[in-house]
Amino acid sequence: MDFELSSDQKLLLTSLEGLLDPFRSPPIGGHRYVEYSVELQAELIKSGFLDVASESGYGLLDAALLVEEIASCPVSVEVAASTLISPLIGGFGSPIALSWGVDRPARYLKQAKIVCLFRHDGVLVGTPAPDELDPIESVVAYPLATLRAVPSDAVHYTGNIAATIRRRALIGIAAEAAGVMRGALQLTVQYVKDRQQFGHPLGDFQAIQHRLAEDAQLIHACRTLAFRAAYEDDDRHAAVACLYAQEAIRKIIYDCHQFSGAMGLTLEYPLHLWTYRLKYLQGEAGGKARQGQLLAQEVWRPQAAADGRQAYA
Amino acid sequence: MEFGWTEAQQAVRGKVCSFLDAHLPSRWEQMACLSPGSEAVTNFSKSFCPSLAEAGLLIPHWPAEYGGADASTWEHFIIGEQMWEAGEPRGPQYYNVNWIGPTIMKFGAPEQKELHLNRMRQGDVIWCQGFSEPSGGSDLAALRTRAERKDDRYLINGSKIWTSYARLAEFCFLLARTSSERRAISVFLLPMDRPGITVRPIQSVVGDGDLHEVFFDDVEVHESERLGPEGGGWEVVRYALNFERIGIPRYALALRTLHRSVAALIRDDGFSEAVQGAAASAYAACEAARLLVYEVVDQRARSSPSTGITSMARYAIVTAERGVADFVLDWTPHLFASDEDPMVATHHKRAIAAGIAVGAAEIQLNLIARDMLGLGASRGL
Repeated sequence: MDFELSSDQKLLLTSLEGLLDPFRSPPIGGHRYVEYSVELQAELIKSGFLDVASESGYGLLDAALLVEEIASCPVSVEVAASTLISPLIGGFGSPIALSWGVDRPARYLKQAKIVCLFRHDGVLVGTPAPDELDPIESVVAYPLATLRAVPSDAVHYTGNIAATIRRRALIGIAAEAAGVMRGALQLTVQYVKDRQQFGHPLGDFQAIQHRLAEDAQLIHACRTLAFRAAYEDDDRHAAVACLYAQEAIRKIIYDCHQFSGAMGLTLEYPLHLWTYRLKYLQGEAGGKARQGQLLAQEVWRPQAAADGRQAYA
Repeated sequence: MEFGWTEAQQAVRGKVCSFLDAHLPSRWEQMACLSPGSEAVTNFSKSFCPSLAEAGLLIPHWPAEYGGADASTWEHFIIGEQMWEAGEPRGPQYYNVNWIGPTIMKFGAPEQKELHLNRMRQGDVIWCQGFSEPSGGSDLAALRTRAERKDDRYLINGSKIWTSYARLAEFCFLLARTSSERRAISVFLLPMDRPGITVRPIQSVVGDGDLHEVFFDDVEVHESERLGPEGGGWEVVRYALNFERIGIPRYALALRTLHRSVAALIRDDGFSEAVQGAAASAYAACEAARLLVYEVVDQRARSSPSTGITSMARYAIVTAERGVADFVLDWTPHLFASDEDPMVATHHKRAIAAGIAVGAAEIQLNLIARDMLGLGASRGL
């Protein structure tokens, strides 16, 4: 156990920092629901950051560190699937969209080179054809579209590879959610330090301090659980990290909006660029109900089997 | 950053588990239900801890010059984690090995070390901690118990409350005020059989032996029984609390309880999808607490100063304890209300104190807000 970043990990994040700097502040004059950054996506691909998990001396944990860090910015770019799943499917390019069903909204479909379509019998991986996509206008701060049909060139992955793709998707959600929550909290903490009411900054009031302190604890645990899940790369740790994050999201969204008051409801103020990504992530991959079941199966299935009863599905 | 265990750490865990398997009696779970401060567990600890010492598992983290093996912080922690999961068969003696002993090593005079560390090494001495008072719990500096100087002695007057293990303790690690200045406190290593001490057990829902009032009426204590300089108690306490920063790995017993509760549900065909979700949430809360505690252990192992992560770990533990206690009450209330599974009752008794002991949960939130978020500075919190 070592919770400090190694010198290689520090170097990785330091070099990423230079690339992220221009994207740390919300785009000026944005006033848009979604801030998908074509520039940052291109920079990440060009610089090779998205290939970190395949680099010698680096691995999934380092990929998760990148996912978390990039997600804390107020722009949306596809990182999780490109870093965590791409090595499993031959690295045919980025971005990669993850779709949980035909006709279901999925992120980055319009921008994607590859789509992974999750089904009960495995994962279909193919090239999304532009004329088979329907873009969706919504308040969600990710670019969304639906897939009308399974890509004609789709390869059907089953067994271990399919299970690993699914697991990495959960690790990606956990790491990304942790980063987005961290960004939202950072903005909110600054707001309650600046905003004066009753002659004091809002952040002087203990009722507000306590809720933000709870949020900070939740987010810190989300990050560490996500990093551990990436390190272990097993179903139990992935389900724990994803479940904990998807449970935490609801409180973080509520508190950040509550303490930002009416400002947080406007498009002029950038809070929604974080919280309306979180609202999508909350239910991604089946949400807490599905992750809870997965985790229960991982933890207690052997016990149920040993007890002579049929393992539950 | 990495999350693996070394072979040596795995070996220690294996050794502790084997020791527990071999040395806990078959009726241990019924006994553990009585709380670490009960007469049964306290007496048991006096035979269990000497065996633990013999196996090199009582004080391996103490320096070799004090009879330890210079073992790592992680080794010490792993032992504590397994002990708590087992229901803490060391009884009140975890105080001694975790922080009272090491604090005496740092501040004690040679005679104090000789007397007290020897007894702790043997594993048969019980201590209590005289910190909380009716006027001050989390706010330690508000304590009123006085130690009035009379030549080479002090007369102690006042009272302590919520004092765990006091009735059976031989010694008290006592905080008393040696002048009227707010922070002028001193620490005394006080034998509990000294005339003028009255211990009154407080009946409670957390179990027998955990809560007492202790009254001091002109209790005489020699200056050689003071630990550290007069008025220097604050530094001693800060040092002692630093050992306590990891706290009790409560999530370990909570997880064990959760497994018991789920096992009962599986037996009764009651582990439906809804229940699975609830169980998974409680499990995830325990894992979060565990990982935050590990981060604190890691900081400690590096001798890094304590940070807000300590408070986060403590708060996460409280949340995990509540999560499991609520799961049991929601889905296996019969285990709580009956003696069908004593470990469930044991957990419940210990869980309800989690947010109160060693600094209330709200104090942890204050510290997180101040130290991690930079809030409240303008009010000097």
